[in-house]
Amino acid sequence: MHSFFSSVWLIPLVPLLAAGWIALGYILKFNRGESGEAQTSQTALTASSISLLLLLILDGFALMYGAPGQIKYASWLASGSYQVFISFTLDTLGLVMSTLMAFISLLTIKFSVNYLHREAGFQRFFMTLCIFNTSMILITLAGNAVLMLVGWKLAAVSSYLLIAYAPGRPTATANANQAFITNRIGDGGFILAISLSFIWLGGVEWPDILLHEKDLSSLHIGLIAVGFLLAAMVKSAVFPFSAWVTKALEGPTPSSAVFYGALMIHAGIYLILRLEPLFMMDGVLLPVLVFLGLITIAYGFFSGLVQTDVKSALIFSVISHVGVMLTLCGLGLFNWAAVYLVLHAVWRAYQFLHAPSYMHLMSRPTRPASQLIQKWRWLYTASLQRFWLDKLSSWMLVNPVQKLAREARSFDEKVVNKVVGLPGQASALSSLDQLESENTVGKGRGVAGTLMEWVATKLGWFEEHLVLHGGDKGMSNVIQHLGVYVLKIETLLSQPRYLVLLIVTTFVVIL
Amino acid sequence: MALTENPSVDIRQQLLDAIAHFEHVLPGQAPIKDFVHHNTLHGYQHLNFADALKASHELTGAYGYEPAERYREYFKKARITLEDLSTILDEAESLKPDESICEKFKQKDVYLAALLNPLKSITGCQFTWHIEELNELNQFQQSVSQTSREKLLSAAKHHGEESESEAINALWFACLKSLNLEHYLLHPEELMDLDPEAAESMLRDVTPDESSESSDVSMLHRQVVKESKNLLGQLIRKVGDDITLRGFLNTITGKDILDDIRPVLQQHLANYLDQGMSAWHPSERNQGFYMVWRSSALDDLAWVFDEMPEWQDSINSLPDDAMDTILLMLKQLGIPETHWAHYLQRLALEIPGWSGLFLWRHLHPDYEGDKQPVEMLDYLAVRLVLERLFAQRLCREQWQIEANLDVLRWYFRRRHSEFFVRYVMFNNHLPEYLFTLAQRQIERSLLDHEHYYPWKQLADMIMAWRNSPMSDQPKGYSVFHHAWPLFHLTQHLGLCADDVESLNAEQIKQMFGCLSALNNETSGFIWLQAYERNYRDALFNAVVANENRGRWKHSESKSELSTPDASTQNLTRPEAQVTFCMDDREESFRRHLEEHNPAIETLGAAGFFGVPINWKGLDDTETTPLCPVVVDPVHTLCEVPNDNQQPKFHKHKHRRNLRFSLKNLIQQETRRSLLAPLLITLIAPFSFLSLLGKTFSFRRMNGLGEKLRNHFDIPVQTHVELNTSEPKPDATPSDNQFGYTDEEQADKVQGFLRTVGLNKPLAPLVVMMGHGSYSVNNPHLAAYDCGACSGRHGGPNARIFAAIANRPEIRIILGERGVNIPEDTWFMGAEHNTADENISWYDQDQIPENTKSAFQKLRAEIDFVTQKSAHERCRRLASAPKKPSLKKALNHIIGRSYDISQARPELGHATNAAAFIGRRSISQGAFFDRRVFLISYDPTQDDEEGHVIEAILLAAGPVGAGINLEYYFSTVNNEQYGSGSKVTHNVSGLFAVMDGTSSDLRTGLPKQMIEIHEAMRLQVLVEAKIEVLGKIYQRQPALQELVGKGWLLLSAKDPDSEQIHVFKPDKGFVPWDGQQSDIPLVDNSTDWYDGKHLPLSPALIKQPPNTSPADYSNNDLKGEFNNA
Repeated sequence: MHSFFSSVWLIPLVPLLAAGWIALGYILKFNRGESGEAQTSQTALTASSISLLLLLILDGFALMYGAPGQIKYASWLASGSYQVFISFTLDTLGLVMSTLMAFISLLTIKFSVNYLHREAGFQRFFMTLCIFNTSMILITLAGNAVLMLVGWKLAAVSSYLLIAYAPGRPTATANANQAFITNRIGDGGFILAISLSFIWLGGVEWPDILLHEKDLSSLHIGLIAVGFLLAAMVKSAVFPFSAWVTKALEGPTPSSAVFYGALMIHAGIYLILRLEPLFMMDGVLLPVLVFLGLITIAYGFFSGLVQTDVKSALIFSVISHVGVMLTLCGLGLFNWAAVYLVLHAVWRAYQFLHAPSYMHLMSRPTRPASQLIQKWRWLYTASLQRFWLDKLSSWMLVNPVQKLAREARSFDEKVVNKVVGLPGQASALSSLDQLESENTVGKGRGVAGTLMEWVATKLGWFEEHLVLHGGDKGMSNVIQHLGVYVLKIETLLSQPRYLVLLIVTTFVVIL
Repeated sequence: MALTENPSVDIRQQLLDAIAHFEHVLPGQAPIKDFVHHNTLHGYQHLNFADALKASHELTGAYGYEPAERYREYFKKARITLEDLSTILDEAESLKPDESICEKFKQKDVYLAALLNPLKSITGCQFTWHIEELNELNQFQQSVSQTSREKLLSAAKHHGEESESEAINALWFACLKSLNLEHYLLHPEELMDLDPEAAESMLRDVTPDESSESSDVSMLHRQVVKESKNLLGQLIRKVGDDITLRGFLNTITGKDILDDIRPVLQQHLANYLDQGMSAWHPSERNQGFYMVWRSSALDDLAWVFDEMPEWQDSINSLPDDAMDTILLMLKQLGIPETHWAHYLQRLALEIPGWSGLFLWRHLHPDYEGDKQPVEMLDYLAVRLVLERLFAQRLCREQWQIEANLDVLRWYFRRRHSEFFVRYVMFNNHLPEYLFTLAQRQIERSLLDHEHYYPWKQLADMIMAWRNSPMSDQPKGYSVFHHAWPLFHLTQHLGLCADDVESLNAEQIKQMFGCLSALNNETSGFIWLQAYERNYRDALFNAVVANENRGRWKHSESKSELSTPDASTQNLTRPEAQVTFCMDDREESFRRHLEEHNPAIETLGAAGFFGVPINWKGLDDTETTPLCPVVVDPVHTLCEVPNDNQQPKFHKHKHRRNLRFSLKNLIQQETRRSLLAPLLITLIAPFSFLSLLGKTFSFRRMNGLGEKLRNHFDIPVQTHVELNTSEPKPDATPSDNQFGYTDEEQADKVQGFLRTVGLNKPLAPLVVMMGHGSYSVNNPHLAAYDCGACSGRHGGPNARIFAAIANRPEIRIILGERGVNIPEDTWFMGAEHNTADENISWYDQDQIPENTKSAFQKLRAEIDFVTQKSAHERCRRLASAPKKPSLKKALNHIIGRSYDISQARPELGHATNAAAFIGRRSISQGAFFDRRVFLISYDPTQDDEEGHVIEAILLAAGPVGAGINLEYYFSTVNNEQYGSGSKVTHNVSGLFAVMDGTSSDLRTGLPKQMIEIHEAMRLQVLVEAKIEVLGKIYQRQPALQELVGKGWLLLSAKDPDSEQIHVFKPDKGFVPWDGQQSDIPLVDNSTDWYDGKHLPLSPALIKQPPNTSPADYSNNDLKGEFNNA
C-alpha cells in the first residue's frame, strides 16, 4: 500500500508529459491541422484519465487505510540549512480537492474535443489544458509552499495563454496582460510568505508551517499569513483584486468554465483552507477574512445584478460565492467552506459549459432587483461600472508598469547607453560614420547657426572620444551627465505613482 | 441650454433624414432569438450586385468576394474552367476584351493572365529574395503554363536566345528597357542603412537644379512642408465622410479613443436594450437612452481614473434634448456643418453591431411589447458626448489643446514637421531605424513639448528616405511596381524579349491600363460569375438529361382532373403525397423517400403552407407569427385541449409551471440571489451526474431527460381552434381575428393546392411536413429553423392546414368551387426536425379507421428514410463516422443535436446553391446534393397571365435570396460580414453575440455554419414559358430589383421541351449555351455519394421499372434509361 502512495508524483506529471508531447508534435508537425486533432485530443484525454484514475485509486486506499499525510521525496533545492523537498500532502482536504480538479479538468477536455473542432488553435488549446490540469493537481497535492507556487505559476501561465487565445484581438491580449500583471502581486505575497517561513520557521513543508513548535509572536505568524492571504486574494479574485477575472472571459467557453468558473478561482480559497491552523492561531486575521468576504459578496452581488452578458453575469456570481467561502473561513467554519467549494465548483462547471444555451434555458426574464435597492441610483451606476475596479487596477497597476517599462527604456537610452558608451539609435542613423553624416542633415544657417553647428560638432567629437576612451576628463564628463539624469529620476520618483511602483517592482524583482 | 447660434430647422431635418438612411448601411439583423436570414447588404439592394458590393466595400471596408487565391484554387480543382472565365470576360463589355494590344495578343489575354496569376508589385527586400534565392531572372516563374513557356521559348529561339535562362534574362532587361528603368539590386542592409554618399546622390536626383548651388536641406524641408500641408488638408477633408475625429486622432497618434469609449458605452447600451438578463434597469428607462445615460454618467467616477476633470461640468451643461446635444457637440468638435449628416453616419458605422441593433429597435418600436423608447438620436448624442470627452483628454495629453478640428488644423499648420512625422509613422511603412526614432520622438514629446527641433530633423530624415530608391515611392514607372509585374505578365503571355521591345509606349500603357482596370472589385466579380457559370452548367446539364425521366409530370387537362374516373385514377394516383418545405435540406429526404417507395409523390412549398398565422400553442403565453417576415398575419390560431382533457390540462399546466419555476430557480436564482449558496448545495450533486451524462453519453442522457419531462408534464391531447366565433372582416395585424371562417379556410386550401399544382387526383394520404431544428448549446438556433415561418418551427402551420382540409364542411365548399378532394383522402400534419431527423406527427387520434394501415405503412417508410437522410448528411460532416451503417449514422446525427459541446449540430443551409420552381418531374430522378430549394408549381395548372408563379416568385424569391445571400456574405468575408468563430461567442442581453465580454455585437453567420458553403448567388430555374415570365418581370418592381439587379440568377425551362433560357438583365432571356455532356447514371443516391465528402456534381438515378415514366407522359425516352 505504501509503495502505491509513493507513486503520487505521477499524477501531476502525466498531464504535463501530455502537454510536452502535444507541443513536440506541433513542432515536429505530426499533429498539426485537422488531421492531428484526434491524436491531440486522445493524448490529452488519456493523460487526464490516467491521473484521475490514479487519484481515485489513491482515494480508495486512503478510505481503507486512512490518509497517509505527508510524503517526502528527495531534496529538490538546497542552500545552506534551507531545503526544499519534492513532497506531497495526501490528507483528506488535498485528496478531495485534487480529485475534484482532475474530474472537472477531464470533463472540460472532453467537452473541448467537439467544441474546438477545426479551430486553428486546437493543439495549443489542448496543450494549455494539460498544463492547467497539472497545475491544479500540483496546487492541491503539493506538500510544501514552493511546490504549490510552481503550480500557482503554471496556472497563471496557462490562463494567460487561454485568455489570449485569439492573439489577433487587441482586447483579448490586453486583458491577458492585465490578468498576468495582477497575478504577479499575488505571487509577490506568496514569495514573501515563503521567505518568511524559511527565515522564521526554517522550512516550507506544510507541517513545518502549520504545526511548528517554535514560539513565534502573533505578528510573525500574521505576516506569514498575510503573505499567503494576498496570494489567495488575487487568485480567487477577492475584492479589491476582482477586476482581472471579469475581464478574463475572452477565451473559448470551456476555458472560461474551468479557469474562472470552476477551478482556478477556487485555488486561493484552497490555499486558505490549507493554512487553516495558521489562521486559527492568529485570531486577528479571521475578522479580516470575514470583512473581505462580505465586501466581495456585496461587490459580486451588486455588479452581478446589472450584467447583461451571460459570461459576465456568471462570473460576478462566482465572485460573490467565493466571498461566501471566505466569510465561512473567517467564521472558523473551514470545513463548511471546503464542502461548499466542491459543490460550487461542480455547479459552475455545469453552468459555464451551458453558457451558450443560457438564453434557451431561461424561461422568463431575470427577477428584478428589489425596490429598496433600486432607489439608490448611484449604486446602479457604481454597479454598472463594476465599482470602477477595472479602472482602478489599471490606474494603479497596469498603466504604471507599462509606463515604467517605457521609462526604463528611456533610462537605458539616456543613461546606461551613454555610460557604457554605446552610440544608441536614438541620436543617429545606425552606424558610427553616419553619426557624423547626421550633421549634414541638421545644418545650421546664418552666423549663429554656423557657430552652433561648429560647437555641436566639437561637442559631439568631445563626448564621443572621451566617453568612449575614458580618461580623467571623460570620467568627469560622465559624472556630470549622471548628475543630470539622477536629478531627472528623482523628480520622476517624487510622483506618488512611482513610489507605489517601486514597491510593486520589488515584488517583480523578487520573482 | 439654448444654443448660441440657433441653427436652421433645416439642419435638424437633414440629420433626421441621414438617420433614416442608416437603415441602408447598418446591419439589419434582428435580436438573435428572432434571427431570420436576410440579405446582408439589404440596404444596397437597389443597386446592381457588383455596384452594391463596391459601395459597401468603400463605405465599410468589407470586401465582398472571396479572395483571388481561393478562386484560383477552384480553378486548379476545375471548379472553374478556362472556358468559364473566357466566356464571362467576353460578356464584360466595359473591359473591352476584344480590343487588341498588338497583333500578338488582345486585352483579354492580359486579363486572363492577371486573373490566373497574382501580378503584384513587390518590395525591395522581396525583390532581392526573388532574384538571389529563387533565381527568377533566369527561369520561368513557377506558375507559367506549359503552352506559354513553349511559345516564349520558340519565339526567343528565332532571335537567337537558345536557353531558358538566356531568354528570361533578356526578357527582364527588355521589360526594364521598355519602361526606361535601370535595374538595381539592393541588399537588405542597404535598405536599412543610408550611407552618406547614397543619400547625397539621391538628394541630387531629387532636386537636380538647386542641389549644387543652395542648401539641399532647405529644399528637403520645403518638400516636407509641402507634403505635410497636403496630407493635413487631405486628412481634414476626410473628416465627416470617411473618418470621425477619432479616426483623425488615431491617424496621427496611433491611439484609438474608441477603445476607451466602447466599454463605457456598452455597459449602458446593453443594460438599456437588455431583454431579460439584467436584474436592474434604471427607472428612467421610459425617458430614453440619452437621459438614462446622462443621469447615470453624473454619478460615474470614471473621470477620476480617466483623468477627465471636465467630465461632470460637461455633462451637467448638456441640453436635455438629444438633438440639441448632437448639434452642440458637432459644433464643439469643429465639424463643418456641411459634413454633419455624414459625420453621424460614420459615427454609427464605427460600432456597426451595436448601432445596427439600436437602429433595429428604433425601427421596431413595439418589439416584444417593450414600452421604452429606442431613439437613434439618443444613441448618437451619447456617442458624440463621449467622443468629445475622450478626444479632449487625448488632445490635452498630447498637445494641450482643445479637441476641435479647427484648433487641430491651426496647431499643425504651425508644426508641419510634427504632423508629417506622425502621419508617416502611423500610416506608412518606415524602415526600422526611422520607425524607432519616430516612436521615441513621439513618446518624448509627451514630456517635452517645447523642443521642436527634433521633429524637424526627423521629418527631414524621413523625407530623405522617402526620396531614396528604397522607399518604394513610385513616380512614373518603377522597377518594383511596374517592371516586375510586366516581367511576369509577359512570361504568361509567352512574349520574348524582342516582342516586348517592339511594343511602343502606348501599348505598354494599354497593358498597364488593363491591369489596373482589373481591380479587386472587377476581378472578384468576374471570378464569381465564372464560378457560378460552372455550377449552373452542370446543374442545367442534369436537368436537360433528366427531361422526361422524372415521375409525376401530370399533363392531363384540368377538366379531366376535377372528375377523376377510376381508370386514370389507378394509373396516376400515388400512394401518398408528402409536401415538404421548399428548404434545400429536404432535397435528400424527398429523394430517398421516392427511391424507397416510388409510389410516393413529394412536393415542396414555402413552409407556412399558405396559412399565415399568429400562433399560440397550448403552453404559450404570447403569440408568435408563423409566416414569412414580410407578412403581418391578421389571424390568431390557438391550440386548446380536447374537451375531455380539461382536468388533465389543469394538472399539466400546474406541473409545467412547477417545472419551469424549478428550472428558473436553478438556472437564474443560482446566479442572482443571495440565497444561492443553499440552492447550489442542493443541486450540485445532481448537476455533477447530469454533466457526466451529458459529456459522455449525451444521446442517452437526453432520451432519458425527454422521457422524464414528458411523463412529468402529463401529455394532453389537443386540437387547434380553427373556426372563428366572431368574424372580423377588417381584422388588422394589431387586432386579429381568432380562427378562420369556413370561406377563408376553403380559400386557403384551394389556393395552396393550386400553388403547388395539386389540382389533380389526390392520394389517400396527403402529408404536410413542416420543419424546425432543435439543438442544445446554440445561440443561433433560430437560424436553423424555417425561414418561411420567420425563423420558427413550421409544424403548427402543417397541422392547421391538414385539419382544415379534413373538415367535411370545407370539402363541400371546395366541391362547389370545382375542387374535388376524394372522399378517402386524409390529410396529416407533421414536423421534421432537420437536426436530429425526428418526425412528429400531429392529431394521430383523428385518423379514420380505413386510413390507419396506410398511415402505418407510410410512417414506417418515412422512419426508414430518416436513417437515409442522416446517412447522407454524415458525408459532409468532418467529425462524423466515415461510411457508417444506417443506424450508426442516425445515432450520430441525433447525438450531435444533444451534445452540449457540439458547435455544428447541423450544417443548416450551407449547401444551398439553386432553386427549382416547377413540377417534381424536372428534378425527380436526379441527385442534387441537398443544394436545391424545390418548389412545386405546375405551369399547366396556371392561368395564362401566370398569377400563380407570380405569387410564388414574390414570396419565395426574397426568402431564397435572403438565405442564399446571408450565406454568401458570411462566407466570403466571415470576419466582417459574418460573426467569426462560435468558440468565443458570448450571448449579450439575449439579443446578440459578442466575442468575449466587450466586443462589438457580431452579426451574420458564425464560421461553423459556413465552412463548407460554396459562395455563389442562387440559380433560380422556373418551369414556365419565357413570355409569361417576361410579363411578370415587367409588372413587378420587386422582381426587377432582385433579378434585374443580379441578386438572384433567373432561368426558365420550357414546360414542353428541354429548352432552357437564361435571363440577362440587359438582354432579357437568351438561350442557355452550355454544352451537353455525359452525366453519370447510378443505381441509387447512396451509390453516388457514399464515401465522398466534397460537393458532388449531379447524377441521374435509375428509375424503377414498374413505375416507369412512360405511364404518365411522352415515350420518346432514351433506351438506356428504360433498361433500369
